[in-house]
Amino acid sequence: MFSKPLLKATIKQNYLVFMIIVAVLMLYLPIIITMYDPATQDSLNEVLEMMPKGMISAMGFSDIGADLIDFIGSYFYGFLILLLPMIYTIIACNRCIASHVDKGSMAYLLATPNTRSKIARTQALFIIVSITIMLAIVTLVGIVLSDATFPGELDVKAFILLNLGSLLLYYAVTGLGFFASCLFNDTKNSLMIGAGLPVAFLVIQMISDVGEKTNFLKYFTLFTLFDPKEIVSGGVFVPQFIVLAVIALIMYGMGLYTFKKRDLSL
Amino acid sequence: MSIIEINELTKDYGDHKGNFNLTFSIEEGEVFGYLGPNGAGKTTTIRHLMGFLTPDKGSSQIFGMDSRTRSADIMKLLGYLPGEIAFFDGMNGIEFLNFMGEMRGLTDTNLRDKLVELFQLDTKGRIRKMSKGMKQKLGIVCAFMHDPKVLILDEPTSGLDPLMQKTFADLILQEKNKGKTILMSSHSFEEVERTCDRVGIIKQGELVAIENMHDLRLKRRKIYLVAFDNPASALQFADSSNFDIMEVNENIVKLSILGNVTEFIKALHNYTVMDLNTETSSLEDIFMHYYGDKPQSASNM
Repeated sequence: MFSKPLLKATIKQNYLVFMIIVAVLMLYLPIIITMYDPATQDSLNEVLEMMPKGMISAMGFSDIGADLIDFIGSYFYGFLILLLPMIYTIIACNRCIASHVDKGSMAYLLATPNTRSKIARTQALFIIVSITIMLAIVTLVGIVLSDATFPGELDVKAFILLNLGSLLLYYAVTGLGFFASCLFNDTKNSLMIGAGLPVAFLVIQMISDVGEKTNFLKYFTLFTLFDPKEIVSGGVFVPQFIVLAVIALIMYGMGLYTFKKRDLSL
Repeated sequence: MSIIEINELTKDYGDHKGNFNLTFSIEEGEVFGYLGPNGAGKTTTIRHLMGFLTPDKGSSQIFGMDSRTRSADIMKLLGYLPGEIAFFDGMNGIEFLNFMGEMRGLTDTNLRDKLVELFQLDTKGRIRKMSKGMKQKLGIVCAFMHDPKVLILDEPTSGLDPLMQKTFADLILQEKNKGKTILMSSHSFEEVERTCDRVGIIKQGELVAIENMHDLRLKRRKIYLVAFDNPASALQFADSSNFDIMEVNENIVKLSILGNVTEFIKALHNYTVMDLNTETSSLEDIFMHYYGDKPQSASNM
């Protein structure tokens, strides 16, 4: 089903980027959690009101509620969680298939008694598992830190849902990246779709948040399906989650199918 | 029994690139040289055999299995050396060989270690920092290390120094004696001459000839340069003989001979010969023979 030696080699190839992104996440998460102070929450909101509203909205920092979960939800899950792991997934997705085909090292992989499907499955497994681990670390550290700093303040269920949402979003985004990686012969094209689209989604998301006039843009970005505010306030989010999961499934499926069928110029 | 069978294989990339109606087979224990200039379609055929491409028409089989759909099964018994060398980032030589061994489920590293020694491969260095020749040797070890029954080698000696080319030729002959079936592509006739039983010549994606090495040698023109003791005897030799004289320059006569040279040696018997040289006929000369009226397009490809 999967190739263990290839999985090992892929882990070795990617663990450094993985660790760097986790380290940066671990730098921001404590800062944001400890920045929360129920007493000064009002004055923080006052400061934010003094800044241009559009800019604040673009960063996803608007409507900061009074709870710790609202606070983390807007500061961390409004922007940082969309940006930082995305850097990792873009690199990992491109490396997993497209870069092997581009460089020619795929010829060696396919010269071994392993089917194309097995190789692609192994690489897909790596991406899915690694992004899951990354967000699991964030979830765990977030809960432990919040509990240590503000015992009992965190709405753990909402926090886990937030992370589940971002995980599903990442399944969809990496699905896109994986598909692009399987589809193209060279890194350039793979990155154009696998990196270009997610970055475009993020930018569109930021612009659509700015104000009423640009709000319609939200229909052009995948990130709309992950709305921290709705999740935290217990609004409608289950259908979005399902859509994300379906997109992910289709994308990974299409990637595996394409790679199995297409011509490889190795 | 045919180990490799190619049947009306066609892959059209347009502009006369690709493969067109290729049909040939390679028998068990045979070393087959696949000759052609750059861009003639040698690598395209090899890619089909490796299962990287789906043909537009026709098929290719190894051990009777379709090379596109059953490549993973075929690979158990096949060793492959790609034409372009690319390995994994950041691995060193031995890490790469270990990795490839694991991918193959190979546990016995005896043969591999012997090959590493034979080619004096430095396995500790980072692959990225290796010279072209060293990378090529790494690729060769990787292709042979699991003692495969069939070998497909795309321009195996490119980047190797003459000594290593000799080592490689010896290895091929040794494998041939073990009954291995080998297909190697090349654009150098000398390389193929040393090792191959049969040669297929491809031009613009079409197979123009399949020849026994023995027959090919007979058809091959060789150019000789004879230096006589003085210009007069050079002229005399040129006028009196019925060889194909190409040029007389001072005391040096340039002539071409097809097939064996017995008559030539006999004719030289009456002269004082200061020096005798051969101009190695390039593959182009041999292609010219097959490509006939369009040598220009052949050499430009």
